[in-house]
Amino acid sequence: MTIRVAAAAALALAATALALAQPPARRADSPAAAAIPETEREQSYAPALVATGERPYTAQCGFCHGLDAAGASGGPDLTRSALVARDFRGDEIIPVIRAGRPDAGVPMPPFPAISDEELEAIVAFIHDRKTRAESLEGGRRAVTAEDVQSGDVAAGRRYFETHCAACHSADGDLDGIASRIDGLDLMRRMLNPRLGQGQSLRGTPRVTLTTANGERFAGLLAYRDEFTIALTEPDGRYRSFVTRNVELEIDDPLTAHFDLLGQYTDEDMHDVLTYLHTLR
Amino acid sequence: MSEPQAVFLRVFVPLFALGLATGASAQDGVDPADFALTPTDSWPTYHGDYSGRRHSMLTDITPDNVHTLTLAWVFNSNPALSIKATPIVHDGVIYVTVVDHLWALDARNGRQIWHYQYRDNAGFSIGHRGVAIAGNSVYLTTRDAHLLSLNAIDGSVEWEVEIADSDRGYWSTNAPLVVGDHLIVGASGDFDNLPGVLKSFDTGTGELQWTFYSTPPPGTPDSISGGATGGQMWMTGTYDPELDLVFIGTGNPTPVLNGQVRPGDNKWTGSIVALDPDTGELVWGFQIMPHDTHDWDAAEVPVLVDAEFDGEPRKLLLQASRNGYYTVLDRATGGNLLTRPFARVNWAERIDRDGRPIPDPDKEPSRDGRLVSPDEGGGTNYRSPSFDPGTGLLIVSAADAYGLYFFKPEHGDYGWAGASPGVLSRGFLRAIDYRTGEIRWEKDLHGGAGAAGVLTTATGVTFTGDSASSAMALRTSDGATLWHSGVGRVGNSPITYELDGRQYIVIGAGSAVYAFTLPQRLVSD
Repeated sequence: MTIRVAAAAALALAATALALAQPPARRADSPAAAAIPETEREQSYAPALVATGERPYTAQCGFCHGLDAAGASGGPDLTRSALVARDFRGDEIIPVIRAGRPDAGVPMPPFPAISDEELEAIVAFIHDRKTRAESLEGGRRAVTAEDVQSGDVAAGRRYFETHCAACHSADGDLDGIASRIDGLDLMRRMLNPRLGQGQSLRGTPRVTLTTANGERFAGLLAYRDEFTIALTEPDGRYRSFVTRNVELEIDDPLTAHFDLLGQYTDEDMHDVLTYLHTLR
Repeated sequence: MSEPQAVFLRVFVPLFALGLATGASAQDGVDPADFALTPTDSWPTYHGDYSGRRHSMLTDITPDNVHTLTLAWVFNSNPALSIKATPIVHDGVIYVTVVDHLWALDARNGRQIWHYQYRDNAGFSIGHRGVAIAGNSVYLTTRDAHLLSLNAIDGSVEWEVEIADSDRGYWSTNAPLVVGDHLIVGASGDFDNLPGVLKSFDTGTGELQWTFYSTPPPGTPDSISGGATGGQMWMTGTYDPELDLVFIGTGNPTPVLNGQVRPGDNKWTGSIVALDPDTGELVWGFQIMPHDTHDWDAAEVPVLVDAEFDGEPRKLLLQASRNGYYTVLDRATGGNLLTRPFARVNWAERIDRDGRPIPDPDKEPSRDGRLVSPDEGGGTNYRSPSFDPGTGLLIVSAADAYGLYFFKPEHGDYGWAGASPGVLSRGFLRAIDYRTGEIRWEKDLHGGAGAAGVLTTATGVTFTGDSASSAMALRTSDGATLWHSGVGRVGNSPITYELDGRQYIVIGAGSAVYAFTLPQRLVSD
């Protein structure tokens, strides 16, 4: 057993001596480069540190954020992340890795067990991938705030008053919305408010449930699948139940948003979005 | 369930599946001829056999006893990468992969026999789907699109060849298909304008036998692709030994979202193609996704079923395609018999006389964005479906989804050439009546698009996973849940095999592989 593992390792080492693949040769000016936020403070990392970071990055981060840090299953594109652009030697990145982002649309778990040395190397690797992404030309491309505002403001206001005003108002919750969020971000949040960082309490489904012996519990939906349902009570206490043992009432305030997805014409969507952009 | 049960029994078990063979002896290694059978003591190919049905003839685990399933063993990958691979089982050994790592495990207890790690490289990857075996060799693709033959006994490298040039943007995730002495394998690569390649290598020497291009290589005159590149064949195909045809789905065209620079249908992207395994020559093609501009490949599994259709016994090919349409073809000719949506779609203006959904120009990616169903992830994707002959159901992990699609001239004509963020995706397991395309039952997966494939067994049990945190066993006839285990989100397609008289169900969740079996009484009363 031990011998076999050692033999395989030796073969892997021997294989390393073969010609290593060169970095992809697809560099050119491109709109993608312009879409990546510029790193705010110049910093450089030794190639050896970057190389050291690849393995822990791949193991711990690669699945969600992509092996090239450009986003994958659930995790955002780190090469286009404003936080990564602000980061200087891990001052922004490391706290997020340590604590996770439990409130994100797709929650990020905390990684308390990664050593300081590995964290430093992971930070180096992420910055290196950001630099590389700036010179790639075939990746996904940027959409500007102007691009999405093709609709008619008056028509958008009319649509809003008919379809949205039951829950929203231009001088209430949406007052100044376009100065806080605009362009593609606003478009996606308009279509599905659960997208983006965190989730407002206002948009979280409310659950009322009754157990077999008649006890009632109410709170915000914390988890649901076929087998388990969980809620957070007003004092923050988490409680879970076997789904089929309780009677459930779930009020999802976002139902109207999801229903509209099947009803919008592209014209409606752009009219409303263009109107929302006037709320500054 | 409106149809009488007797109708479903008119599904014929393929002739090549009648022998429940046990494979060749360990000494001779694996004989690819056995892949035409449906072995019960092994899972020797990505799909379990050549048909792509992922249907096992094992009968130990039944709807009545499946609720007693218990954990037999767990294997934790290190590095802890997501298990997307279908484990390959032969002669008491399980081969499991994550990107650039391969383990040979004892199928009785999950213990590592050997581990092979490929060298560090600059290839891109989104996961790894498994190995192929033949003779005494195990065949592994790497993220830099190389193909390795390893000695099954100790994991030592026998030879290594390049499938495609990773410096140009190719990468590889897939399990090769072995037919005779042909090791048939494609590559991936959507971020660059690259011709779609499928290659056949000699199983013994690694020598290149042929290359099939789904889109013409640069400089080819009279291109039928309309200027498109792409059409990567990144999944494992299926094979009919009687027709001697390999079937494989081809990827989307590139540039991905800019369709303006590649007018026309862009053949043979978004297609199911039938190839001669000896020469790689195209015998027929059917384009389920003409002129794609939404990243909807047709790489999903072409499932081979011999069954009645319109009152006649037919050799059928079924595909639930990423664009949200289910299609039935006559696999001898490629003629279309049925095309019907199985997931939410809003992008086609009609189905043409050849059975192809034709894109609505108003849903092409635009500067201001179009709201399109399904999203980039599709109505389904890489996760394997399963066909149950007993009920005539193709059980598919589907998604009803919306995405936004952008393209403007400034996005150029290279690689992605646009943007396609998702808006909302909801996963459902759907049971499609193979003859009509009707959804006979569906099950909410409680989350976005699932990652689990599907396995059915002859006793009417379906194994899969939800989008939340469970592996599940369902009653195939109506989708009722019979068993579940909160091992985490299932990320591969379950398999089954029999060893020492016990049936095992093996499922990957997170970075671990779990084997379940019926409880065993160790001491008699």
